[in-house]
Amino acid sequence: MDVGALETTILDIEREALGALEQVADRAALEEWRVRYLGKKSPLSQVMRQLGSVAAEERPRVGEAVNRCRDRLQTAWETAKEALSERLLNERLASERVDVTLPGRRRERGALHPLVRVMQEVEDIFLGMGFTIAEGPEVETDEYNFEKLNLPKDHPARDMQDTFYLTDALLLRTHTSPMQVRTMEAMRPRVPVKVIVPGRVYRRDEDDATHSHAFNQIEGLVVDEGIRMSDLKGVLEQFARAMFGPDQAVRLRPSFFPFTEPSAEVDVRCINCGGAGCRVCKDTGWIEILGAGMVHPHVLDWAGYDHRRYSGFAFGMGVERIAMLKYGIEDIRHLYQNDLRLLRQFARPV
Amino acid sequence: MRLSYQWLCEYVDVRDISPRALAERLTAAGLEVEALTPRNRGVSGVVVGHVLTCEPHPNGDRLKVCTVDAGAGEPLTIVCGAPNVRAGQRVPTALPGATLPGGPIKRVTIRGVESNGMLCSAEELGLEVKLLPKDLTEGLFVLPEDTPVGEDIVKLLQLDDVILEIGLTPNRSDCLSMRGLAYEVGALYDRPVRFSPPSEPSVPEPSPVRVSIETERCARYDAQVVSGLIPRPSPLWMQMRLLAMGIRPINLMVDVTNYVMLEWGQPLHAFDFEQVREGHIIVRQAGADERLVTLDGQERVLNDDTIVIADPERAIGIAGVMGGENSEVRSSTRRVVIESATFDAASVRRTGQRLGLRSEAQQRFEKGVDPVAVRAALVRAAQLLCDLGGGRREGGVVSVTRGEAAVARRLEFSPERCNRLLGTDIPPSEMRAVFRRLGFSVQERDAGAWEVDIPTRRPDIALEADLAEEIARLIGYGAIPSTLPFGATTVGVRTPSQRLRRRTREVLTGLGMTEVFTYALTHPSSVDALGLAADSPYRQMIPLRMPMSEERSVLRTHLLPSLAQVAQYNLARDVAGGQIFEIARVYWPRRLPLDAQPCERTQWAGLWFGTTDADVWNRARRYDFYDAKGAVEVWLEAFGWLDGAEFRPAASPWLHPGRAAEVWLSGMRIGSFGELHPKTAASLELEGAVYAEFDLDLVVERLSDRWLVEPLPRHPAARRDLAVVVHRDVMAQDLLRVAEEAVHADGERLLEDIRVFDVYTGPGVPEDKKSVAIRLTFRSKERTLTDEEVDRLVQRVLSVWTARFAAALRG
Ligand SMILES: [Zn+2]
Repeated sequence: MDVGALETTILDIEREALGALEQVADRAALEEWRVRYLGKKSPLSQVMRQLGSVAAEERPRVGEAVNRCRDRLQTAWETAKEALSERLLNERLASERVDVTLPGRRRERGALHPLVRVMQEVEDIFLGMGFTIAEGPEVETDEYNFEKLNLPKDHPARDMQDTFYLTDALLLRTHTSPMQVRTMEAMRPRVPVKVIVPGRVYRRDEDDATHSHAFNQIEGLVVDEGIRMSDLKGVLEQFARAMFGPDQAVRLRPSFFPFTEPSAEVDVRCINCGGAGCRVCKDTGWIEILGAGMVHPHVLDWAGYDHRRYSGFAFGMGVERIAMLKYGIEDIRHLYQNDLRLLRQFARPV
Repeated sequence: MRLSYQWLCEYVDVRDISPRALAERLTAAGLEVEALTPRNRGVSGVVVGHVLTCEPHPNGDRLKVCTVDAGAGEPLTIVCGAPNVRAGQRVPTALPGATLPGGPIKRVTIRGVESNGMLCSAEELGLEVKLLPKDLTEGLFVLPEDTPVGEDIVKLLQLDDVILEIGLTPNRSDCLSMRGLAYEVGALYDRPVRFSPPSEPSVPEPSPVRVSIETERCARYDAQVVSGLIPRPSPLWMQMRLLAMGIRPINLMVDVTNYVMLEWGQPLHAFDFEQVREGHIIVRQAGADERLVTLDGQERVLNDDTIVIADPERAIGIAGVMGGENSEVRSSTRRVVIESATFDAASVRRTGQRLGLRSEAQQRFEKGVDPVAVRAALVRAAQLLCDLGGGRREGGVVSVTRGEAAVARRLEFSPERCNRLLGTDIPPSEMRAVFRRLGFSVQERDAGAWEVDIPTRRPDIALEADLAEEIARLIGYGAIPSTLPFGATTVGVRTPSQRLRRRTREVLTGLGMTEVFTYALTHPSSVDALGLAADSPYRQMIPLRMPMSEERSVLRTHLLPSLAQVAQYNLARDVAGGQIFEIARVYWPRRLPLDAQPCERTQWAGLWFGTTDADVWNRARRYDFYDAKGAVEVWLEAFGWLDGAEFRPAASPWLHPGRAAEVWLSGMRIGSFGELHPKTAASLELEGAVYAEFDLDLVVERLSDRWLVEPLPRHPAARRDLAVVVHRDVMAQDLLRVAEEAVHADGERLLEDIRVFDVYTGPGVPEDKKSVAIRLTFRSKERTLTDEEVDRLVQRVLSVWTARFAAALRG
């Protein structure tokens, strides 16, 4: 057989095969191509089979030409296979595109009530300062709500807190202060007493934008040897900074509570205007958030801590007022209306 | 308490300090000035005019044309429409160019007659007409005949004054008088106070009044008879002062007692002495059911807690609260006896509260009056009645006391202790100066041990701590530094109950539930929707004695009505539905009527109402039993209680009997949940809503804060899924329980997990049956289980199911 003709055939086979490979569009066609041009019955195999008719000295040359051709086809096939995979993957990716702007399969988070948020925040701050949290009964005795707090029967200072009585001796507590006495009685003679008391309290008030027959207070009490009024100021200053911002300052003003002496109203810098003066603070730059004072000597003595040895301070803040200031709620009743459109806003910060 | 700036300046000279600055200083000292009101609401150019002539207007039937001498130049022609205008009157006359609160006054022509100004009424001058008698407010404000013509009305009516409204704290009863306020202002500014007791003339003749005190509750009673009084109104200056202080002028005798009360803080009362039988005043306790018609015309029923002023035959006044009509000072009264006394504060307060009265006198008595002022005020009032009313003293002051006389208090004080309490470093000399300013005298016994004498006008100063407050108050609370307590470091901890509630909140909000906060006071009928038996403990609601409204008159025993109200509120506002919860107390009395503090149980309650939110992935659907159960299970699991919990059908009347479960945890029923009973749902308008409630106090003891890992398994598990057909009333929990018992019967715990993963009813399953698909996971800690072993266990389970529940393996 003419070697030149065989070589031409090999070249033709290669040209045809490579031409056919360009037409391959899917995996099946590629496999078909592989069987056809690289399989046992491929034209190249047929050329090999004709090798016997070639002169012995020419055989290696032709065999080599066939092998080179097969290698090239093999490489071409591999490249084509890879390119096809790539193309098919790209097609798949394109076809699998989703609308990423549709919402996810979401589980809505719930929200804590704003009053609870405030209480938790205040609790956490005082826990950090080493206070323990105590709670007490809402149905209190006259004795603990008033008498042991230096508010004897028929004392005009009782007018400061209009009271819901249940019986002669039982009432709805008007403040969390009875827990001052209950805590000291439970603790005596141990010091230091460092406790805060969150809870619901009640006053015989008409409900309006700023008054509520029920609201929440957080009471604080510290008793130890050598407690000073300046400690009260320092502790409340730390609290104000943690609660309302690092630039906060507190201001004490003289006041009167039967169970503290000296007594003070405590103001913080207006959190609305920062102290410049605005409608919220009535242009004073300060807002009142607390009543406080040094525990009255009678209250200490009656609860079992001799006032000549021990002293202490106490404070009480209104949770509603802080929530209203902090969250911009204008009417105290909104805190009890439980409008979900308002409450759900507490699922995320602004 | 109101404070007249002008009146104050008579006692302590603060004319160089503006009323605003004064208000700020008082507020900083604890006397909070709530309002600052100039009395002049825009009056200028108004003078006293003398009406010379008064003729009818030629063109107007009701109008008059007057000529008025306003004190300068020619008389003015002024047209006036007031019905009470008469020639000869002195009246406030607004000249052209004057202003009134209603606007400027110009020269105008009224029906052809030029009017050169306007004659004014009290209202037009901006006076407190509500407090003035009718004859002074109807028509022109006619001035006394001796008023100088041409005088500026602003000066005459003291309109150039500013009133400070002070919100006094109850301890500062001393500041319920000009005297107390003057001392306070004098102390704040370190200025002298001119306030001297009146001199008492000696009257040789005996007094016609006899006084007996027959009760412990009157420490002192002073009386003075004044006779020959001419009935007349009090002078204009006194009326204006009373008006400025918010007190209604009435007649000279009453006005004088009120005026002196404002001056001295000591309430006085004038009786018509002719009505005091036998001239004998007796202070005694009232008898049970004794009656007296008081000055306001009301018959009052008294009791033996009430102190009365009486004559030998009858009560003539309620001590410290209100006088009797039978001894009232009238226009015909010529002879009065003035009372100045001290009565037991608590008793006066109780009486006033019982009768619903709150007179100026009562407010002062119940806070305590200064014993020193008793006689001084009486002498001062008698003097004013003599000077202004033409009266004369009949005899001197009769003074009767009972018990010990009040003495000035003496307190120990140590500057060092004071500094220690305040955390300050105030020099003793500065403290001494503060006491001097306050009028407290100081004796130094030893260095650092002082004795301070407190004048009787300051009953609020009773302890050393009170003195420390005075030091801080006058120096200014700003002088107190900021420090932190010395002493042992403490670690703050939450109680288990608080940790339980906090984790409950985390779990429930994490599940998408929104927390609500509702009132504990509720309507007695709020539990009616719950379908309770007549003797149900939930009907035992503790009532308030004096509720503000029926709506808030009892303490709740159940949280469902509160949550239902929230749901209703929101459904009415375009909210399609929601999942809400509250952690709150319910109040269960031990018995009613209440004789001890009730049981206050803390619960969490949840309500799922309306429909879920629809979105791309989920269609809106009604919440159902399994939403609640899912939340309950996640909640139980968050505390490690789910494995030990048992769910049983519940029989709470407010829940659907076939769609409710109660949860038992080691023998305790800790709560229940389920769809609302159709009747409850209908009356709450919450069809299909689901409710859960759990008692947190019952589970708090079981709170675990321990987390401990188990080693991971070393041998593979074998899983088998079985579908069995059982009667539809067979409960999944029972299938699981008996399966577990069967597998573990040999004592080896090879069943690691068993759970229902599908329940099917429909074609292929008989009507009254259901197919339950259950996955069992077997695993041994020691070895790899063989298929034969597992198959044997499965067979055992199947045969137990067949025996117990007639279960058939589904093909
Ligand atoms: Zn502000």
